[in-house]
Amino acid sequence: MKIITAVKRVVDYNVSVRVKSDQSGVDIANVKMSMNPFDEIAVEEATRLREKGQATEVVAVSCGVLQSQETLRTAMAIGADRAILVQTDAELQPLAVAKLLKAVVDKEQPQLVILGKQAIDDDANQTGQMLAALLDWPQATFASKVEIADGVATVTREVDGGAETVRLVLPAIVTTDLRLNEPRYVTLPNIMKAKKKPLEVLTPEALGVDPAPRLQTVRVVEPAARKAGVKVADVAALVDKLKNEAKVI
Amino acid sequence: MKSFDVIVIGAGVVGSSVAFHLAKLGAKSVLLLDRGTIGAGTTSQSSGILRTHYSVRENVELARRSWDVFNNFASYVGDEDASAGLVKCGYLIASPEGDKLDPLRASLAQQVEQGIPLEFLSAQQAAELLPICRFDDAAVIGYEPEAGFADAYMVATSFARGARRGGVTVKENVNVNRVLIENGKVVGVSTSAGDFTCDTVISTQNIWTPELAAWVNVPMPVVPERHAVLALECEAAPYTFKMPVYKDLGSPGMLYCRSYGGNQMLVSEGIVGEKLFGPEAEQGDIPLDYVAEVGEQVADRFPAYAEAGLASSWTGVYDVTPDWNPVLGRVPGVQGLIVGYGFSGHGFKLSPTVGKVLAQEALGLATEVSLSPYAITRFASGNLLTGKYGLGAVS
Repeated sequence: MKIITAVKRVVDYNVSVRVKSDQSGVDIANVKMSMNPFDEIAVEEATRLREKGQATEVVAVSCGVLQSQETLRTAMAIGADRAILVQTDAELQPLAVAKLLKAVVDKEQPQLVILGKQAIDDDANQTGQMLAALLDWPQATFASKVEIADGVATVTREVDGGAETVRLVLPAIVTTDLRLNEPRYVTLPNIMKAKKKPLEVLTPEALGVDPAPRLQTVRVVEPAARKAGVKVADVAALVDKLKNEAKVI
Repeated sequence: MKSFDVIVIGAGVVGSSVAFHLAKLGAKSVLLLDRGTIGAGTTSQSSGILRTHYSVRENVELARRSWDVFNNFASYVGDEDASAGLVKCGYLIASPEGDKLDPLRASLAQQVEQGIPLEFLSAQQAAELLPICRFDDAAVIGYEPEAGFADAYMVATSFARGARRGGVTVKENVNVNRVLIENGKVVGVSTSAGDFTCDTVISTQNIWTPELAAWVNVPMPVVPERHAVLALECEAAPYTFKMPVYKDLGSPGMLYCRSYGGNQMLVSEGIVGEKLFGPEAEQGDIPLDYVAEVGEQVADRFPAYAEAGLASSWTGVYDVTPDWNPVLGRVPGVQGLIVGYGFSGHGFKLSPTVGKVLAQEALGLATEVSLSPYAITRFASGNLLTGKYGLGAVS
């Protein structure tokens, strides 16, 4: 069984992002970039399935700028066998990524595609679902446990108030939640090995996909700054303010 | 308009120390300002190494006196709950044959002469202290038992708390727009929270010092330089809290390594880093190739780390001067302006004493360490304070 995992290069979660002055987006110049944490969980899960002998090959796929190669190298250092970059400088929205991934799936014919449930930059939570629809495959989103046996995936999903278990006939789409696994640290020898693993570069044109955005970003703004607190003289003044100013009691 | 005797710009570990010492020395009205929050800038990125090993004599003096403070931190700041997060594991510095050997010998001899407790170790003795490391090629190994590492953020916040207790007003999230000057004399600062008058401004603006230079129209050479730090996990050879900080003068990156708790080693290169175009303390990118390059150097010294995993990585920014040493003291031509900047990656180690001497200078007291070697005029006169190791944070 071949598994595809999709990985996205995003601004590292430790960076306090700044909005560009023209409100067109977030300034990502010269800041730390890393693999979307949910995608790291996806690569880890795929790697574990291969280590258990349930998969024969893990292919990491990323769509985006040239530097996404670095993210793919990380995926291969975790354990992916090879990588495909669909390289473009164009803005990619979830539908475009789903279409590009569908084209790669058509070409590679995997039995399972594991994606992060969402990326921490745009928080869209759409790509996995759109890919399932485009492929007309079953999907299990927000997975916290994945078991594969006899061409069937049994997936535990994190839902409000508990866990739901679903069965999907492969080929299928799984998107990962935080508790699915704890990704391993990439080791120094595996970083070196990853440099020698094959990394194929494709383009949207070569895949016959038009990645043009369908949504227009009107503006991006920072959250309103928190207002400074005030000191009140006594409890009576506090109660008065809560009642008449904040109107919460 | 509110009035203060002294205004300190920048509440990193140095500025907080200055404010604390101003209060301790009896200053009546002090204002400490920060553009963000206390210790949240480059202070929070410090690796926290504490040593007195310097090739520059004056730095040894500042570091030695600072060590006494770190070693008795709670009583020094007058708060039994205060902690510097000190781990007194010692500091081991080694060099094989080569160009670093003479500077190491000279620096160690100078430390001995200055009365620093210091031991010269054989490779075997060193391996007893740091068994995960190999010393077979070491020509000289120096060991400072009174050294280790601590937590710069905890020190900054403790100094700031101590300053508050001493009556200092601390304002966070306030941007200073300029220093107000009349007839060549400081009269106050203009900020996003209004104007404040004062006779003395102490700037500890670190990588943001060029803003000050523009306000007062005085050249203040400093370049922001980004350095990467890695935390490497190695279950086979844990770097425990009992093992000394290790400085490897034999590696191309002049690595420094310390315990990072658990099975992890904190490691970084002690050479020239990535120059930035402007003041920017944000996390920078760390390519995998760079991780591999540093990892290779680590594995060369710590064989078990050839299999190590990358647990985390981050960047910190140094405020680097042309000679990798700080500028401390008054700025000629601007009466009432004192600066402490350009610590070039070794500010935390010196912060207690630097805070004290800058406070002494501001209050017209004799400084317990002479500031003249650190004068800003050295860049114009060419009388630089370059260390024997050349450029880099050993100094």
